[in-house]
Amino acid sequence: MRQIALYGKGGIGKSTTSANLSVAFAEMGLDVMQIGCDPKHDSTRMLMNGRWIPTVLEQMYERKDIAMNDVVFTGFGGTRCVEAGGPEPGIGCAGRGIIATFQLLEKMKALYGDIVIYDVLGDVVCGGFAMPMRDGYAREVYLVTSGELMSLYAANNICKAIARLSQRGTARCRLGGVICNSKNMDNERELVEEFANRIGSNFVQFIPRDKAVQVAEVNRMTVIEYAPISLQAEIYRGLAKTILANEDLRIPKALELDELENLAREYL
Amino acid sequence: MSWRILPESIYESRMAGCALGGALSVACFIPGAVAVVHAPEGCVHQAFSMLHAMINDSDVWIVPEILVSSFGDREVIFGGEDCLSAALDRAAVESPDLIIVVTSCIPETIGDDCGAVCARHLYADRILYVPASGFLGGSAKDGENAVLTALATRSPVAKSVFGTVALIGEKNLEFEADLNYAEVERLLAKLGLRVTVRFCRNGNYATLMQLGSSQCFVLRDERVAAAGKVFGERFGRPVIPEFPRGLSGCFLFLCDVGKACNVPEEKITAAMESETAYQNAMLAKFAGLSGRSVFLGAEPFSGTCAVAREAITRLSMEERSDGFPIRLPFYLPIGTAGVEKMLSLWRGATNHG
Repeated sequence: MRQIALYGKGGIGKSTTSANLSVAFAEMGLDVMQIGCDPKHDSTRMLMNGRWIPTVLEQMYERKDIAMNDVVFTGFGGTRCVEAGGPEPGIGCAGRGIIATFQLLEKMKALYGDIVIYDVLGDVVCGGFAMPMRDGYAREVYLVTSGELMSLYAANNICKAIARLSQRGTARCRLGGVICNSKNMDNERELVEEFANRIGSNFVQFIPRDKAVQVAEVNRMTVIEYAPISLQAEIYRGLAKTILANEDLRIPKALELDELENLAREYL
Repeated sequence: MSWRILPESIYESRMAGCALGGALSVACFIPGAVAVVHAPEGCVHQAFSMLHAMINDSDVWIVPEILVSSFGDREVIFGGEDCLSAALDRAAVESPDLIIVVTSCIPETIGDDCGAVCARHLYADRILYVPASGFLGGSAKDGENAVLTALATRSPVAKSVFGTVALIGEKNLEFEADLNYAEVERLLAKLGLRVTVRFCRNGNYATLMQLGSSQCFVLRDERVAAAGKVFGERFGRPVIPEFPRGLSGCFLFLCDVGKACNVPEEKITAAMESETAYQNAMLAKFAGLSGRSVFLGAEPFSGTCAVAREAITRLSMEERSDGFPIRLPFYLPIGTAGVEKMLSLWRGATNHG
């Protein structure tokens, strides 16, 4: 079972990338599970054709005995979809919620299949959001970033978390590479490629900004479902193949803030 | 011998639990009040076990009124404000005089707004919120000070009543707490003063609220100095820093309290003369110890050796490294009575080994 986590700044397109990856893997005949690890619980919405599925934490809050079909839902292409969810904004501890979700999924033996994709809240604000990288869950982390400084900053922070966690005996996570989800900036690809190089990792894929993504989402579908023969769908399929073939997993070296800012300045 | 290498700060280490335990050691000694602990059950069990063991040790036969909000994993994730509110509802059923809400570290860590929950409760006027905050709040000492201070802020500033004294921060878990109180009361009586408030030991809420009318505050010891500072500033009354230490401490105490309470000079002098005679009579009972050589063991509480050495001198005893090894009392001897008790133990030890 391959366990893959996508991390990156909020709003950078992790959920869109994750959902399209899930469908691309499913098209290859693989058994895929996607787990949204973000309190805003919209990771799997396009796989569920716009349906907001009940989150694990909602179910935990409402009932004591939870069955697998209370939290695992079948989406497009047979993908299995889970949303961790979280507390209301401004109360409780969302990080603990992520940990509790993993404990429940483990207890229910729900974590199985050929590929599990964890779509995780961008900034690793606490240990809870590092959970997918710990205890033998996600072994491969892919950073999703654009060329914007704050997006690179978030990606760089996640590198720190990976480097720290890789020191532990129980954590076997490594960085699989960097995905550039374009914001149509000048020199964006070159900048993100150089960022990947500087942190000691690989540039995996450039995903151009395409209206097809927005159109598919307002129609509550992934790009691959809505426009299966589009160029953008092919790009997601290509990304899936690259990831599947990728065996080059590394421990990244995060950049100092000055270094990161200088890098961004170089490619303006 | 193992007792010779005991750490010097046994007392502090024994009392260095988290702030929750310290807060409960005060909150549980207010008859008619209920302590609501916003914490997981295990956390309260831990604090209560220590409390229970030490209460039993002190021969105090009370069962503290403690309600726990039973904070669990669900509350950690979704916030525990609702379960605190439910615990307050349960506490309010018995219509207690006071509901003291103390918190452990977890609700404070995840950011429960406990103050707001207390403020909007139907019984808000009877609720005293003390953010003890478990380890975040410091040690047991900080928990004690937090409850004392929070409670004092409820007590109105009143005109002082001549001849009244409030005792602050008696160590409720000390097995000699009431003996020490009796000794202080005896000394105060020589000055014509009386204890009107024991803040907080076995006094109900209405009694505690008379704090502001006391002419002066006597702290148990430096442990509650933080609360003492607040009391002094709030009520504008003199604060005596500690109970009398041993024999000479009695004279210092009589002098300081007498002046603080505007006792006439001649009455203070008379009280000191009376105490001198009282101490001489007490020491005469231990004349048999005169000339004995002793070796003092490890000092469990800072200052105990000084008190013991003074007694050694007064009884013409001798302290020598090859002297008879005697164990110092666990708590610092308070006043003449404390020294008398210590000497009784020494006599027993030297006579019977």
